[in-house]
Amino acid sequence: MKPRRRRRWARLAKRVASHVILIGACAFALFPIYFIVVTSLSTLPIAGITAHVLVPSPSTITTASYGTVLYHLSPNFLTLLTNSLIFSGSSAAIGLALAAFTGFALSKFNFPGRRTFVYFILLISLFPGVLLVIPFYFMFSSLGLIDTYLGLIIPYSAGAVVFSGILVKNYMDSIPDDIEEAALVDGLSRTQAFFRVLIPLCYPVLGLAAFLAFIGPYTDFALAHVFITSNNLWTLALGIYNINSTDQGAQNYGLVTAFAVVMSLPIVVFYMVFQRYIIGGLTLGAVRG
Amino acid sequence: MADLRDQTLGFRLRHEWPAYVYLLPVTVVLLVLNAYPIAYTIYISMTDFGTGGRGSLLSYHYIGLTNYIYAITNQSSTVLALIGNSFFWAGGCVALFLLVGLGLASVLNQPLRGKSIYRTLILLPWAFPAFITLLVWAGMWGYEYGIINGVLNSVGIHSVNWLLSSPDAAWAALFITNVWLSFPFYTVVFLATMQAIPKDLYEAASIDGAGTLSQFRRITLPYLMPTIVFVGLMGFLFTFNNFYPIYLITNGGPGLSTQIFITESYNDAFGAHGASPLYSTAAMYSVLDFLIIIVLTVVVIWKSDLTRNWLR
Repeated sequence: MKPRRRRRWARLAKRVASHVILIGACAFALFPIYFIVVTSLSTLPIAGITAHVLVPSPSTITTASYGTVLYHLSPNFLTLLTNSLIFSGSSAAIGLALAAFTGFALSKFNFPGRRTFVYFILLISLFPGVLLVIPFYFMFSSLGLIDTYLGLIIPYSAGAVVFSGILVKNYMDSIPDDIEEAALVDGLSRTQAFFRVLIPLCYPVLGLAAFLAFIGPYTDFALAHVFITSNNLWTLALGIYNINSTDQGAQNYGLVTAFAVVMSLPIVVFYMVFQRYIIGGLTLGAVRG
Repeated sequence: MADLRDQTLGFRLRHEWPAYVYLLPVTVVLLVLNAYPIAYTIYISMTDFGTGGRGSLLSYHYIGLTNYIYAITNQSSTVLALIGNSFFWAGGCVALFLLVGLGLASVLNQPLRGKSIYRTLILLPWAFPAFITLLVWAGMWGYEYGIINGVLNSVGIHSVNWLLSSPDAAWAALFITNVWLSFPFYTVVFLATMQAIPKDLYEAASIDGAGTLSQFRRITLPYLMPTIVFVGLMGFLFTFNNFYPIYLITNGGPGLSTQIFITESYNDAFGAHGASPLYSTAAMYSVLDFLIIIVLTVVVIWKSDLTRNWLR
């Protein structure tokens, strides 16, 4: 074979191999998602049999599981959703404010003790969050805060604060000091410059900080499982865990998967739309995704 | 601000004091919700609080390092298993993340039809909340009704009792599940870094006759090294304390074979290990976990230039 021809064959082989690898990766990535969607749309099953239906015939497709999830759960879906939104929403609001103030102070001030402070917050943020549940349990039960909204909102708000604070700090570092100085020259105080000039420039990173503070409580199980005892405070995460672990779930995988779809959908859309920001943020700006 | 760096302490205090006001809320939050609970955990680990009959739930006493000494002398096999499993879990996962992420990123980093479709589809698992997909994965690995055994049966392979029969099968299930959760993120991060490599480096190399592999080794890899180190170390620290995959899929089983510090600690306090909670044991494992993480982080900060630029 002539060398040029051989090169063309090699290039073709490489292209084919690339497609094969990527199709394999996509199949791996999509299989569980496909399984979740198909199972959630299958006929209400008897004893887990749907787990083996991978290619449903159009006649067996039904939205019955979604109906049950949305209207016939106890506690009902709306209660779970409302509770999750209360916990996640207040945590996002408080966490956002804390992250903005922290990032501003660490980025734009050269106060004595700054380095020590950064090392301090880094050190205590290393303690795994899930294991804070143990001391929290005793602290909050002696305060009578177990099984209350406040009892969960307080620890949730602190959840992502160190990470988000550093995130905001990094972002503010990239905003030239000139912008703040120009505002000062125009007669604004430093606080006014922060609220009127810096905060609007930081909307993307603040949005990410709010989202990270939102998603934590939305999918938290470790803390809610211990802190919540009455049904009317249950969150979506406790709801799906319970369906999955009771007989109802083992016999009816359609319910678990339908719940999974409903609970994931808004998060998936958000992630896919804002993936660049989120990836950039999760690597603390070390990589711009 | 940078131009104030050389000023005296008094000058800096006079001009920079508002920073303390801005940091007041977060400081209160961190002291009350992090520092105090951590100190409290260390204290509980030095009491006989619910130590399986040795202390009572209503009255417990300070007993110094007794729990630690007891763990080292009488339960050393458990402690060693937890250390081994935690490192195996974190190290194994990160190795797989890097391998799969780098491999797929290099494949995606070439002119190819449908590239953006592949990229979007690969990214999907990452967008799902891990807690939810992990619940489903736990069901998928099921022995009797799990879809994975269903698929294996349909191609003529016997069912595997993934989660209960052997440590190897349980680890395999955990690794595969966690790779599914994480490889999209690593792939996209590495791809983004690769796309920032100047194209003329490759052109020059291919004029000099360098093949695909040697281009990867001589150009791509050195360029990626800082990202690999940073993302790998962060991934290790995160995975070391990644609670949900193990808690929801194997819960440490069979036996102790996939138990790591964080799941053991949570279970000692709140679950699975029978009716009497072992709070002081749970606290002790929390402290050991924390100590290991601190040492690893100090090494990371000390060894890595990358952390320096966001610690500045």
